[in-house]
Amino acid sequence: MTDTPAPDNSATPALGRRAFLRSVGLTAGAATVVGTSREAESKARTLSQTGEGYHETEHVRRAYEAAAF
Amino acid sequence: MQTKSAQAALAEEDFLRARFYGLLATLLASAPPVELLARLGGLKEDATPLGAALGQLAAAARAADPQTVGDEFDALFIGVTGGELVPYGSWYLTGFLHEKPLALLRDDLARLGVERSPGVAESEDHAASLFETMQGLITGLFDQALPLAEQKAFFATHIQCWAPRFFSDLEKAPSARFYGAVGTVGRVFLDIEAQAFAMLD
Repeated sequence: MTDTPAPDNSATPALGRRAFLRSVGLTAGAATVVGTSREAESKARTLSQTGEGYHETEHVRRAYEAAAF
Repeated sequence: MQTKSAQAALAEEDFLRARFYGLLATLLASAPPVELLARLGGLKEDATPLGAALGQLAAAARAADPQTVGDEFDALFIGVTGGELVPYGSWYLTGFLHEKPLALLRDDLARLGVERSPGVAESEDHAASLFETMQGLITGLFDQALPLAEQKAFFATHIQCWAPRFFSDLEKAPSARFYGAVGTVGRVFLDIEAQAFAMLD
């Protein structure tokens, strides 16, 4: 285990978890540039959805674009 | 569109968790291109363990160039007779590739409606694939965002049981320079994930 801050269990589990995640650097300004380029992401893509099978389709590209990945 | 609406409802911290998984997946799938190295070089350090790890990653990225990082990636994960590390869950859990942990993972992926993309050689228990899966399960990319309890179960069954050891090994691997810093970010991030999921109990 690393020396990350001790979890705050004082609130409900969901709220405590949210507060914990906000305390450990996830929401630091640095995290906003963690998003990788779409070129690099598409090179890394190894999985897709079964069924209708939209492998690397416009649907997937739009979803990633919407999430600014 | 179902995927888009799921993302719109995503809490900020979950959105950022997904980004970290995406970053780790990208860096473990292939060596970073120059543009990504430049962006990583701009990461700012802060006082948290994760912020400190990102600061180390930024420094490593600024000291690196695509050619040397590419050579490092090959030495670590590919190599002429195999890389220094084998980034597969089945290997870490059993000492062999394509063992029962992969079969269990494939069962879960089938249940979740996720499959390996055509032309991808690596099995689904490759670290990059698992982190890409977590990214998709958080954001709803594959269908809809998975409830936290189910994310926790997937994390515990397929990631937490071996990936922290992998990142620890990556930090210490003989050829690791840039990727040593990636190992630290991965280890600290997974520790945060484990602690956050434990709070759901």
